[in-house]
Amino acid sequence: MGKMVTLTIDGQVISVPQGMLIVDAAKKAGIDIPVFCYHPKMEPVGMCRMCLVEVGRPVIDRTTGQPILEADGTPKIQFGPKLETACTTPVSEGMVVRTQTQVVAEARRGIIEFLLTSHPLDCPICDKGGECPLQNLTMAYGPGESRFQYEDKMHLAKHVPLGELIYLDRERCILCGRCVRFQSNVADDPVIAFSQRGRALQIVTFSEPGFDSYFSGNTTDICPVGALTTADFRFGARPWEMIPTASICPHCPVGCNLTLNVRREAAAGGREVIKRVMPRQNEWVNEIWICDKGRFGYHYTESPERLRQPLVRKNGRLEPATWEEALAFAAEGLRERSGVVALAGGRLSNEDFFNLYQVVTARQGRAVLYSTMAGGDYVQRYGLSGDANLAGLGKGDAVLVVATDLHEEAPLWWLRVKQAAERGATLIVANARPTKLERYAAHVIRYAYSEVLEKVQSLLAGESPEAQALAKATNLVIFFGQEGLSLEASEALATMLARLLVQNGQAERPLSGLVAVWPHANTQGGWEIGFRPDPDLAHTLATAGAVWVAAADPAGDDPILAQALEKAGFVIVQDLFLTETARRADVVFPVQAFTEREGTWTSGERRVQRFYPAVPELENTRPDFMIVAQVADHLGIPLVGRSASRVFDELARALPAFAGLSYTRLAEVVEQWPLVGRGDLYYGGTVYENTQGLGVRLARMSAGAELSEWPAVEIAPAPADDALYLVPVVRLYDQGQTLVPSHLLQQRMARAALYLAPATAAQLGVQTGERVEVSAGEWAETLTVYVDANVPVKAGLVPRSTGVPLRQPLWVRAQRAVLEPQP
Amino acid sequence: MNTLRAKYADEIQAILAKYPPEHKRSAVMPLLYLAQREAGYVTVQAMAEIAEILEISITDVASIVGFYTLYYDQPHGRYHIQVCTDLPCALRGAEDFLKALCQALGVEVGQVTPDGLFVIEEVKCIGACHRAPVFQVQGDGEIVFHENQTLETALAVIEALRQKAQQEKEGTA
Repeated sequence: MGKMVTLTIDGQVISVPQGMLIVDAAKKAGIDIPVFCYHPKMEPVGMCRMCLVEVGRPVIDRTTGQPILEADGTPKIQFGPKLETACTTPVSEGMVVRTQTQVVAEARRGIIEFLLTSHPLDCPICDKGGECPLQNLTMAYGPGESRFQYEDKMHLAKHVPLGELIYLDRERCILCGRCVRFQSNVADDPVIAFSQRGRALQIVTFSEPGFDSYFSGNTTDICPVGALTTADFRFGARPWEMIPTASICPHCPVGCNLTLNVRREAAAGGREVIKRVMPRQNEWVNEIWICDKGRFGYHYTESPERLRQPLVRKNGRLEPATWEEALAFAAEGLRERSGVVALAGGRLSNEDFFNLYQVVTARQGRAVLYSTMAGGDYVQRYGLSGDANLAGLGKGDAVLVVATDLHEEAPLWWLRVKQAAERGATLIVANARPTKLERYAAHVIRYAYSEVLEKVQSLLAGESPEAQALAKATNLVIFFGQEGLSLEASEALATMLARLLVQNGQAERPLSGLVAVWPHANTQGGWEIGFRPDPDLAHTLATAGAVWVAAADPAGDDPILAQALEKAGFVIVQDLFLTETARRADVVFPVQAFTEREGTWTSGERRVQRFYPAVPELENTRPDFMIVAQVADHLGIPLVGRSASRVFDELARALPAFAGLSYTRLAEVVEQWPLVGRGDLYYGGTVYENTQGLGVRLARMSAGAELSEWPAVEIAPAPADDALYLVPVVRLYDQGQTLVPSHLLQQRMARAALYLAPATAAQLGVQTGERVEVSAGEWAETLTVYVDANVPVKAGLVPRSTGVPLRQPLWVRAQRAVLEPQP
Repeated sequence: MNTLRAKYADEIQAILAKYPPEHKRSAVMPLLYLAQREAGYVTVQAMAEIAEILEISITDVASIVGFYTLYYDQPHGRYHIQVCTDLPCALRGAEDFLKALCQALGVEVGQVTPDGLFVIEEVKCIGACHRAPVFQVQGDGEIVFHENQTLETALAVIEALRQKAQQEKEGTA
């Protein structure tokens, strides 16, 4: 901690770190100084003048350097002739600040009056009404009446779409610049800006699509008026009508804390529905931000396509059945067969994984994680530990990011790594292609997809400047993904990266470790509980006596897995939707969405966090862990299935990493800085305060045996000179089942396509928009080409989850597709 | 395809050379003048091209165009007829002169004549108070003063410019 400074605010003597701004120091002391443009997560600009206060400083005798004293022995304080902005003035020793004097009140009244000269009085129909800083501060400090002529108000456009996600109301905007500064300085997408000047000053965007940023929704939270609203929520509800429920984002392994706002709605037949998703503060995870996928990507939970009743195969057809029938049928199918394989995806909660694991192990079966990426066991042993927070990374530390595009795969991690680099941490980004994170990197390691392991190995050898930067770092955090890697190669990568930590002597440090950038929210939880990916999944499925699939759609992802599933003896599927896999099942159970039930997820940083039921469950659905327990019950295997918290207690008893944890423990909170979400929304925005749990990071498992030499994995060499390495890459907005129902994002969703380097495209004789046929053995696809200079040569990038059955990288033959004559 | 870069490769290089490579965004103003010279105003296309050259966002470029009054984001007349109406000029009848001129051309201040040639602007002191009514014509890369004006003399100036433009058009047609 730096030097402390003691000052007096409204008679209260406080000590705060040197360099802190008066507005923050007052906030720490429980004194509210109203602001509009200031935000505790951004640099101050002093634009709005709302925070004017009287500031006095001790008078120093220039000859002695000592404070001049009054007759009573107290230091003589000299107040400035004018007020000062509390948001731009740092505290100093002996400072005296007055925030409650007549002259300060006068200034506040004047500023509010000015702001209201052209602000519409449409609070009764404004989305912000009820949680509006301008409204609140006007009530607190503003004049009751304006001296300005009503006729002189400016009338401006009220529904300006800044893209299809965010709307701007120009009349309501008070030009505080919070949104512009957020986009420039925090998100680093400077896609909105001021244009014109004086009375004509306004916010504009020229990006294509409009307001092109994954973080755009956050501007609506920090907007101190109703000028920026989301297309998803605007005119949807009044803030005071909605009930807030704590939740966790289901879309990626960051585990951003959310608040779901729920209201009963006539339009939904009186049901309670989710009206909006808001960030919930967790300074260890997402601070006070969330990405737009988390904010707008919840609509799948209310999709009409959801499964609403169990299905049982009768005479070759799936037909509706009662729960009792379906459970008995499933148990029957399992009882008759040996060799059960549970195939579970990373959307399951820890409780679901745990119960499923219990059943299959009791039946001597196998627990398979539906994942094409390995390394979760290394994360258990070499992950971050204790209270470690990425916000603690700074000068002297290093961050290594390998084989992942954090901006697309886990935007909040991208943000936090960027911030670490801005604080002085050495960022090293290694990927086969340029990614947005490289802007902040001290070193960029570029490799051909097939060389990734050799490149990482050379870091271990320690010669290069990159290797030396990593070796001398106090703390080293390594994010690794699976771009361009097979399951085996990703296993090898994780081993090497763990060795790197050990070799550099960083493995024992709490703020050092591996973070796996998984494709799903709880893939790490699957690893913790004992699920492991299978390198030969097709064979495993085809030879299984019974396959129990939960939260996975292998048949939809890959025709080879679909064929394998056809050969399996008996198939049970638990899902939200009638997936391709469910269509091939013998029994299908409809499950509850995360918004309807309790549970916990383990983030990629191994933080276990609780989500709570926000809306009543869709009738006739049950949570996964309960379904598993009920099937188990029919098989005579006693499992806890009534409540998620009881399952979690069992889990905490069984698994050492979870020892001592309980739902109560996970719900604990501590006071966080900045203070947000209380009565003073003007300060941090409408982000919710965290009152229902910060979660707990799992204990690091002991490293155990010496790390083996990495398995001799060779990335399959090119089968022919003209072969193309087809690589699935993650785009934030894909066509996955959990995103497509969010129609608002439709325009921005990735489409099935083949991205090629200009040279590769020229070789094939194709241009953007033309079609290429790619094939490997029986596997063949025809894809539309986009020429992109960022794609490595000899590689073809295909966005994941866009309907192209490509789970893992693949060498293919490529040729220009001959257009078939139109019928 | 970046048409600006293609057409003015050398000029752009010369502009960029004035600034350190890591601060090339500083070249945005001269590049905007270049684009404006090309089309008479700064097109959205040109903003996108400048953004690409300088590796900044198009919104940042547009923000600068919006802030400065001498960048135009709409088609603007080839000749800017700038009439001073400051106090000394007003005392010598500049306001009436401006009004009459607008009426004669059938446009308001700031509007472009239908032929796209002229725009009338009301400006602050141009330093010829004692010879008001006075206006300057900006266009074709030069500024020409016209002092002690009446509506008739002004219209004659405008007509001459119109003829010139007409001849050029026919000459190239």
